[in-house]
Amino acid sequence: MELLIQFLTNTGYYLADFRNVIMLFVGFIFIYLATAKKYEPLLLVPIGFGILVGNVPFFKGFGLGIYESNSVLHYLYFGVTSGLYPSIVFLGLGAMTDFSSLLARPKLMLLGAAAQMGIFFTLLSALALGFLPKEAASIAIIGGADGPTSIFLTAKLAPHLIGPIAIAAYSYMALIPVIQPPIMRLLTTHKERVIHMSEPREVSKKELVIFPVVGVILCCFLAPASIPLLGTFFFGNFMKECDVTGRLVITARTAIIDIATIFLGFTVGASTQGDVFLTGKSVGIFCLGAVAFSIATASGVIFAKIMNLFLKDKINPLLGAAGVSAVPGSAREVHLVGQEEDPTNYLLMHAMACNSSGVIGSAICAGILWSFLV
Amino acid sequence: MYGLEAINAANGWAMAYTGAIIVFLGLVVLSFVVSQLHRILSFWENFISKFNQNHQTEQTDEMQGEDTFLVPHLVPSDINEAASYYSHLIEDLDQPFELTKLYEISQQKGFPHPHITISNFRQANILVPAGDGLFTWSQP
Repeated sequence: MELLIQFLTNTGYYLADFRNVIMLFVGFIFIYLATAKKYEPLLLVPIGFGILVGNVPFFKGFGLGIYESNSVLHYLYFGVTSGLYPSIVFLGLGAMTDFSSLLARPKLMLLGAAAQMGIFFTLLSALALGFLPKEAASIAIIGGADGPTSIFLTAKLAPHLIGPIAIAAYSYMALIPVIQPPIMRLLTTHKERVIHMSEPREVSKKELVIFPVVGVILCCFLAPASIPLLGTFFFGNFMKECDVTGRLVITARTAIIDIATIFLGFTVGASTQGDVFLTGKSVGIFCLGAVAFSIATASGVIFAKIMNLFLKDKINPLLGAAGVSAVPGSAREVHLVGQEEDPTNYLLMHAMACNSSGVIGSAICAGILWSFLV
Repeated sequence: MYGLEAINAANGWAMAYTGAIIVFLGLVVLSFVVSQLHRILSFWENFISKFNQNHQTEQTDEMQGEDTFLVPHLVPSDINEAASYYSHLIEDLDQPFELTKLYEISQQKGFPHPHITISNFRQANILVPAGDGLFTWSQP
């Protein structure tokens, strides 16, 4: 009988407290959004299930939890805390990205830069709310709307905040269809939303091959701290474009990125143990994340409108919203909003150009913030 | 610390505007380089194609020059006919000349069996000894 009681007191049912229950509920919401609503399922399913696993209460000291050394989850989590998974994800992203629309219209790259303003505004906001500089920078990078970049920078500057920041970043990425369209509509007129983009010029294969080499040299020389992200990103893209490493490219954009995404999502989810995750700081991070994301979207749209004051060949200001690096969610949303106004307006290709420049921009920002604060 | 005081204490303003300027500058430079990439490439391709054209013209000229003397596939059975092929080579040599020079040139130009042919020229007195191991060409 005593043995049975001892066993029961070690079960999750006995050890659970309200924080675990809340987080289990959050995990269910993620899984529901991913499976029923199809909101970023490739991210939210691993994270949601990770939240469920991470919030199963256990007897501390058995080497089971993600924060206990020698546990399996702890080893898997090393890929997050070391910045390994984000680097691998960027390799796969590079192998998937087609820069032809960006090369055809390089001025769209400025929208990717403008959308990063959300990061710096949020940096100031987080500092003003009392976060330490390293924490503030980690929170600010959520404005880049790039999950791997957020995780990478947080792992370097404020590892204790990886859970809430990663969850916030991925949540807002999943909520792009909810967050971005109202901001886009608020800041643009119908006349602006129906602007058709002119046909881009044809980009030669040589340009596509040279671009990753030029990109890695210019960006990584400017912000060497972004090498782990942009180095692999441009490397993946070079493999794609050089046409002589077909097998490697296929592996990079399928198996490698998928493996990294699974472990990244799952361990980030598992890192949200109720007792660690449910703090006042997490609430602040979520609020600031929403602000960062909204300002990033708005600054991209506003900058596109400013550019139109000087351009003969006007650009659709909705594209500014795709300057955040949520690939391809924000580009898709820009396209959908554009099509609502005019079904013959196809903005997806142009929005992808802004999106890919946003990836580069947010990685540079991460490198800059890291070098400022190390 | 909260508010402006916290921002000032962490050097927040400087971080924000410096960071914003750097990221803008980086992407502006990248977009400028990218916008010039196709121009640089087309300039380079034009340069290369012009270079190749010049090179090809030179090669054609050289080949035309080479075409002035024909190289037989087989050693002609008639010694006079063989001598007519070799006479073009002799024009490039100062008289008198060493047989080794004639041999080298004929081999370079791809003449078949130059050693036997030169030997036949000697026997036919087409190659006449001029003393000191030198020879003159005396085509009939």
